[in-house]
Amino acid sequence: MSICNATSLRVDLTHGKIEKSQTPDNGIGGRTWNSVTLMNELKPGVDPLGPDNILCIGVGPLTGSELIGTCRFIASAKSPLTGILGDSGARGFFAPELRWAGYQQIVFTGASDKWAYLFIDDDKVEIRDASHLVGLDITQTTVQLQDELHDPDLQVAAIGPAGENLVRYSIISCNLARAAGRTGMGAVMGSKKLKAIVVRGSKPVTPADPERFKNTCEQFKQRIEEHDEFEARHKFGTTKIMDSLANMGVLPAYHYRTALFDDLKKVNGTALRRDHVVKAKSCYNCNIYCSRYTYTKYNEGEGPEYEAQAGFTVKCGNPDLELAVGVSNTVNRLGLDCISMGEVIAWLMECSHEELISDADIDGIDLSWGSKEALLRLPEMVAHREGIGDLLAEGTKRAAKQFGEEAQKLTVEVKGLELFSADPRGIKGYALMNAVNSRGGDHYRGEPSIELTGDEELAMKRIGNRDAAHRLKEEGKGLLVNYAEHMGILSDSMTICKNISCCMVDVIGFDFAAEAYSGLHGHDITAQQLWETCSHVSQVEREFNIREGLRPEDDTLPARFVDHPIPDGPAKGTAIDIDRMVKDYYKEKGWKNN
Amino acid sequence: MIHCELRICVGCRMCEVACSAFHFDGVTRAMSRIRVAKLENVGVEMAIACLSCQEKPCLECPTLALTVGDNGEIILDGDLCTSCEICVEECPVGAIGFYDDLPLFCDLCDGATSCVTACPSGALSYIEDHRDSSLASFLQADGNPNQKRAHYVSMQGEPIRKGWKNGLRVDS
Repeated sequence: MSICNATSLRVDLTHGKIEKSQTPDNGIGGRTWNSVTLMNELKPGVDPLGPDNILCIGVGPLTGSELIGTCRFIASAKSPLTGILGDSGARGFFAPELRWAGYQQIVFTGASDKWAYLFIDDDKVEIRDASHLVGLDITQTTVQLQDELHDPDLQVAAIGPAGENLVRYSIISCNLARAAGRTGMGAVMGSKKLKAIVVRGSKPVTPADPERFKNTCEQFKQRIEEHDEFEARHKFGTTKIMDSLANMGVLPAYHYRTALFDDLKKVNGTALRRDHVVKAKSCYNCNIYCSRYTYTKYNEGEGPEYEAQAGFTVKCGNPDLELAVGVSNTVNRLGLDCISMGEVIAWLMECSHEELISDADIDGIDLSWGSKEALLRLPEMVAHREGIGDLLAEGTKRAAKQFGEEAQKLTVEVKGLELFSADPRGIKGYALMNAVNSRGGDHYRGEPSIELTGDEELAMKRIGNRDAAHRLKEEGKGLLVNYAEHMGILSDSMTICKNISCCMVDVIGFDFAAEAYSGLHGHDITAQQLWETCSHVSQVEREFNIREGLRPEDDTLPARFVDHPIPDGPAKGTAIDIDRMVKDYYKEKGWKNN
Repeated sequence: MIHCELRICVGCRMCEVACSAFHFDGVTRAMSRIRVAKLENVGVEMAIACLSCQEKPCLECPTLALTVGDNGEIILDGDLCTSCEICVEECPVGAIGFYDDLPLFCDLCDGATSCVTACPSGALSYIEDHRDSSLASFLQADGNPNQKRAHYVSMQGEPIRKGWKNGLRVDS
């Protein structure tokens, strides 16, 4: 069934043709449309960096409305990093503007032979020359376009040098630093020689039933402000997580060698706010405004979120937070995914520590824990594919093959996608999510955050299982991950901020999403219909991945997490039986083991 | 007039959303009478509605469609307006919107000031006494309204950026 249909812009970059069409059936918006488009239209087995790949940019039925947090766009294509479904969302202000221009999806096919950007001004849509933008970083590209088009309010989604140079974990960013970060969507954009998408829109999103929708918006605002996590999220955003993970014993210090980091207080959210945050920042229409602007001796910019903060400190054994903030801003500007980049550096440092590689292998760069030289130089080398950066731009899975079997054993990726900055062994729902979700090793596909609460009543209410409320239990996690995955698909389709919908436990459910949709669009849908559409799209994504060569044995975690328990700290001794949990999950999905 | 404290503004555009929804039901940036300039490469953001300036160059309206209300707000007579956009172009800080062939002036929501209510950070307030503000130094500003607005906010942001350089942080 189709919950929502809207205008899709088809841009054939090979022939320079632009057409208006309809979003596909069987979707809600955003990710569901994109995944169905890829399933229907992408030829199996194409080169992700060739002209046959398709890049979809999708927003959703609530985007750009009065509802808080409806600020995301989802970029989807076959991933050059994993070879399966790639997609990633970005917050900020680009998505509402695209909706206001009258489009809810853009589908790019083919590839331009010259560097180009897409210009959208309501009904006027043009492919324009971008040769003068080549080599500019994301900030420079954005500012240059706003300058030359005489409109500082233009919304721009761009790639940096990393995307141009087809780094397999390059990003698409809007608002300078709001990134669609995971699975290398920037490289797909780069392979199509598309430097940026520029949009200005002026068509309103008007509720069909203003009173009903207004009421839902007010309720949502209130639910957020009354939520237990509101104050902490408001003050620290995702950077609040570092202390929580430390208390749970799941910090990935020194690339997962220990859960203890002596200098935690120098690098946590409190230190960041005290020393480097100069102001709070917000995405579109948000009362939490959890983001931050930082100012350091290296540079300034929006960020870091927790993943960059931890990836360039704790994970790399670096106690110098100012350096990490500087690196985070640089990584954003260059157009690299901070999660994958942090993992590449931390993995190299561990390889060096284990004497599996020498500094000479890495162009003489000092790879000791916390090396300032490595943190400052490697992102630049990767983005420009200079020296060893050319190999590291391929991601840890491919790069490790050059350094032998022992180095390969130290990588922390699933299906080629590098993991987040937490130890999955002590948060078993997250471990399962990383093992099975449709884009590879990633926590944000849907957050099984109920397992962090210990709230058995809530777990019972949402998924009918009390064990799932406890992060160290393996029982009930198939159910929990299936539920969280549905919430993730719903959020990626309605394009609501997942830091709200998935991370602030139970702030929104399917019933609430159905009510919001019904008020805005004027025809009633039910929670059950939304759930079923998410189930259907989850199945579509699975079939897509199997068509691209995914095997059940790929649904696992790196052996280092399965074979060895956490060595120290509050979760010391915790191991994980991932096969059992994957079976449990397959049972929920109705899948067989082959 | 609506005052925005630049130091506190987080650039969320909730004021624009509220303004747009109050006057039109629907939401889009272009329908708002308060407009946020976001200078993202220098971290400075600020909402601007009519600043009720002393100079009021918008009153150079060739058809005399504009008058000043009791609270300093500009009142448009839609029947007289010819959509020439001179007022929009003349505003030294680009505070006047233009939608559906009519200029958009902050009307203080007939006293409801919906942007102030919506502002989550407390950056916006309603200031009754507006007579002191002069925009004389911006009268010659170059560019279109969006550029003028950005220029004004950039100037307003300079002191705080100096503060950052000297170690001022969000909680200090």
